[in-house]
Amino acid sequence: MSSPDSSSLIAQLDALAAQFEAAVAPLVDEQSIRAVQAQFLGKKGRVSELMKELPKVPPAERPAVGAATNRVKQAIETRVESKLQELASAALAADLARSIDVSLPARPAPAGHMHVLTQVRLESIAIFAELGFAVASGPQIDTDWHTFEALAMPKDHPARDMQDTFYIADDVVLRTHTSPVQIRTMLNQAPPIRIIAPGHVYRRDDDPTHSPMFTQLECLLVDEGISFADLKGVLLHYVRRFFARDLAIRLRPSYFPFVEPGAEVDMECSFCALPGAATANAWGQPLIRRDECRVCKGTGWVEIGGAGMVDPEVFAHVGIDSEKYTGFAFGMGIERMAMLRHGISDIKYYYEGDLRFLRQF
Amino acid sequence: MKILWNWLLEYCDLDRAMTAEQGAAALTKAGLEVEGLTDLGAGFSGVVVAEVVSKKPHPSADKLNIVSVITARGGEVTEVVCGAPNVPAPGRKVLWAQIGATLPGGMTLAAKPVKGVVSPGMLCSEVELAIGDDDDGIIVLAESDTTPLGAPAQVAVGVDDWMFEIKAPANRGDILGHVGMARELVSIVGGRVVLPNVDASAFTDVDAKVGFAVEIADATRCERYVARRIRGLAVAPAPRKMRQRLRNVGVRPINNLVDVTNYVMFELGQPLHAFDAAKLQHGKIVVRNAVAGSKFTTLDSVERTLVADDLLICDGATPVALAGVMGGLDSEVTSTTTDVLLESAGFTALGVRRTGRRLGLHSEASHRFERNVDPAMAEFASARAAFLLGQMGGQIAGEVVDANPAPRKLAPVVLRHARLHAIAGATFAADTAERILRQLGCTIEASTAAELTVTPPTHRFDLGREIDLIEEVLRLGGYDAVPDTIPRLRQAPALQAPDRQDVVRHALVQAGLSEAITFGFTSETRVQSLGLPPDDRRATSIPLKNPMSLDQAVMRTSLLPNLLGAVARNASFGEHDCALFEVGSVFLARPRDPSLGRDAGLADEQHMVVGVLSGKRPAQLAATTAWDVFDAKGFAERAIEAVSNAPVVSRATATVPYLHPGLAGELMVNGLVVGHFGEVHPAVRAKFGIDGPVFAFEIALAALPSAAPRQMTSIAKFPGTSRDISLLVDNSVPASRAAEVVAAQAHPLVQSIRVLEEFRDAKLPPGTKSMLYSISYRAADRTLTDADVETVHTALVKQLVQELGAQQR
Repeated sequence: MSSPDSSSLIAQLDALAAQFEAAVAPLVDEQSIRAVQAQFLGKKGRVSELMKELPKVPPAERPAVGAATNRVKQAIETRVESKLQELASAALAADLARSIDVSLPARPAPAGHMHVLTQVRLESIAIFAELGFAVASGPQIDTDWHTFEALAMPKDHPARDMQDTFYIADDVVLRTHTSPVQIRTMLNQAPPIRIIAPGHVYRRDDDPTHSPMFTQLECLLVDEGISFADLKGVLLHYVRRFFARDLAIRLRPSYFPFVEPGAEVDMECSFCALPGAATANAWGQPLIRRDECRVCKGTGWVEIGGAGMVDPEVFAHVGIDSEKYTGFAFGMGIERMAMLRHGISDIKYYYEGDLRFLRQF
Repeated sequence: MKILWNWLLEYCDLDRAMTAEQGAAALTKAGLEVEGLTDLGAGFSGVVVAEVVSKKPHPSADKLNIVSVITARGGEVTEVVCGAPNVPAPGRKVLWAQIGATLPGGMTLAAKPVKGVVSPGMLCSEVELAIGDDDDGIIVLAESDTTPLGAPAQVAVGVDDWMFEIKAPANRGDILGHVGMARELVSIVGGRVVLPNVDASAFTDVDAKVGFAVEIADATRCERYVARRIRGLAVAPAPRKMRQRLRNVGVRPINNLVDVTNYVMFELGQPLHAFDAAKLQHGKIVVRNAVAGSKFTTLDSVERTLVADDLLICDGATPVALAGVMGGLDSEVTSTTTDVLLESAGFTALGVRRTGRRLGLHSEASHRFERNVDPAMAEFASARAAFLLGQMGGQIAGEVVDANPAPRKLAPVVLRHARLHAIAGATFAADTAERILRQLGCTIEASTAAELTVTPPTHRFDLGREIDLIEEVLRLGGYDAVPDTIPRLRQAPALQAPDRQDVVRHALVQAGLSEAITFGFTSETRVQSLGLPPDDRRATSIPLKNPMSLDQAVMRTSLLPNLLGAVARNASFGEHDCALFEVGSVFLARPRDPSLGRDAGLADEQHMVVGVLSGKRPAQLAATTAWDVFDAKGFAERAIEAVSNAPVVSRATATVPYLHPGLAGELMVNGLVVGHFGEVHPAVRAKFGIDGPVFAFEIALAALPSAAPRQMTSIAKFPGTSRDISLLVDNSVPASRAAEVVAAQAHPLVQSIRVLEEFRDAKLPPGTKSMLYSISYRAADRTLTDADVETVHTALVKQLVQELGAQQR
């Protein structure tokens, strides 16, 4: 084999470059491209093999060959990069060519529904917590003594007619109100006492506005210097926070044996407003004209519960000094609050476990 | 109670005139809530009082008359056709529905020919005006009627009035009559009470005697007994307006005698009883307790068996009335009665209530006595009734027998101004309390800068304490006068553990279940539907003594039946895919436990969590995958972990009667069973009419340990590795057994073992299954080498093969 001259080597290098291009052109993945790159540029690759001929080239011509080698190596590497770039672009373009019908329904994320009565109860607890009220509870099957007698309703008291009672035994009842929790709390704890007691209660009543089981929220505050004005202030705070609106409350004299003075609590109707006043509530829901309101029958007031100052006789039953301490108590229906805020039309929906109802909240 | 506005106004001299609406608002604001307001005269219009001038027969109909009437003296004469048999003589007044009049039912009158004679309207009967039952003829006003001609008929018949439906507080017996309500209205509005006329001197025979002595055996049960004698009565209908007023307050008119006793009761609040004196034999009225076991027939013809607590009015030794509750059949007044002994008594409240309750008798009289009738009014009411009967022709004996052994005197009460202001949270002008209490009829015995000494009027039994007076001052001063303040917080609330029931609710809602709330009671059929053995506490429900229906007859002992009911109900509305839970109380009977003191007789009330799954899981498009047992297990574990932050392990159980024996498990925390999960037994769900499988879990909240705050464990700095292992094991070996074996080794490099697959196939040896596990290894201080792992893994596999009786595959 004759000694190679520089031009022949340079021509062979250029041929390698062409062969590389031919080899790499059809490739579609990086691994094959890298393999071909190694075939040409690796330590034992074809360019290196060719360079073994370099010592045979006259020294004066070697720089030209060297330059040509670098040029070819550079070209191959550039081509590898551009080829990879092309592949990446093509892959991206292919990916971006995908499309779907976004109007298809979503894959449902877990979506349970908290019962609306639980939601109202928890929110009410949070509002009262702002004023320092803690949650207390008591049994649903309770004694006649806790439910009535200690609340100044001895047997044969006509006020018992107001609450038709389910009896378990002569001295055991299904509690007709959450007020026995007042008694249990006051027996166990010295003032100051600040509690709310939400819970199920039972009365022999069943019509579109009454359910034999319903939920009350009892509130009791006993301390030195507690007044009727404090009762009004706490009720007002609750109502305004719950409805996110500056609603008024109104206390009307009423009779409950365990409070005196006693009151029915009315709240300004949350569904309507006087003409010229607000047209929407805090959540942007439209308010109807007061004179067309069927919830309050145009009166502007809806009844939400009973309230009053704890009667000294009740304090006597639980051993609290009514000269030193005074207190207020009120009870209201959680169903009623939920109805007023969520527009629920019939109390029976709460207890049927009907998914068509539960899902709405 | 029903109050008629114009009747009420007869007893009021108000400082300012009021409409019925204003009166209703004033009463409501003072705590006598007017729940209904009815315009009694709204049923008809265009009917006027007219005087008959003449009548002549209809030219072509025998039974018809042509009646000439006028509506003003010297006014135009109109001829009206009338078919009634009782067209009165000229000069008497009738009620003429003129053209354009509307009658009850909505008919509007037009001129129309009657057998050829055009009649401008008609003359009306009670039935046509819907004010009574008399359909035998037209209404003819009494000769004594003073209603002017042309006046609306409403005035003449006594329906020109408003009826208030008032929610009377249970402690206010004093307002159960129009005069009592008038006292209240006068106190609120200002003015004075005008008592009705009782001057019966014109009808009284001063020398006549009652002819009966009165003996009260127990003055604690009967404080006063007033007896009057009225003779020479002719039983007849009472005057029209009296009858109409009674109808308007809901009482059927009977005759003048009975109607007067009722009228006075509605007027003064004092129940009266009239005995037919001719049927009384012994000249002596005795008020005494009954002999236990004795019999007495009340005027509703029911024979009652009495107890010693019942109070009787006796004619000598013969019972003639159940005091304050109901009269006796044998001494009842009838249409032939002419001689009456009139009782006006003060029976004490609790006794009347006990007897009424026990016998299931509730009368207008007992309703009032139960709420306290003022004995001080008894004589006045008796005199009033005598006056009215005298007006109707009765002769009143001048003698009155008034047994009033110990007239009640209400004790003075001290009202401290400082206390009033402390309770109210507001200050009142110095004379406010005094002014209001005087308005109520209280006597101010003494007044200082610090306090008032007050004696309430006899009818205000409810004003015995300072707080009672404070309420009156606030009530009439207006609750609106009290400001609103926020009470000072002197002490932080006590520490409270989170409510586990709510913790579970949040966890399950987040996991995708929806919360149901069902009744605390259920039916005995549902309790028994679970198939519990008799020795299971849940098999014995607590029954209500007075349930409203069989569906609500017993307290629930499990949450499951009502939830299965909800599943069935949802399915009936096409909602076949249910994922519901309830957190709530169940009520288990327990023997009376005297150590619990007052609570000895209470139930064992336990908080439970139950979930039910039916149909398919939520899916994007058509739901294709059904819930299964492991969904129930997953929700249960989520609930338990939310409360307890503790690992849950499960093992098979075939002994829960309401779960499928092969598809059920026990949930255990710290080695204790806290609940169950599985498929609801097909026989149980069939009882609820549920077609497809239902999966359920239940957790006893009290059984769960409390959670401590989670503590962070260090995050691994070096990578771990894992090895898979496939084992052929006997079907009886639970998948969880491998984890127990691995845990027992407690090798520091072993992180966890996870089940990858359970494979059952006919190609495997009978009774075996193939389990694929993945074991994770990691070291805290270095990257593990293959050699490290290999040594540990080989040992572990050997251990597993040995302990599970497995073959490595």
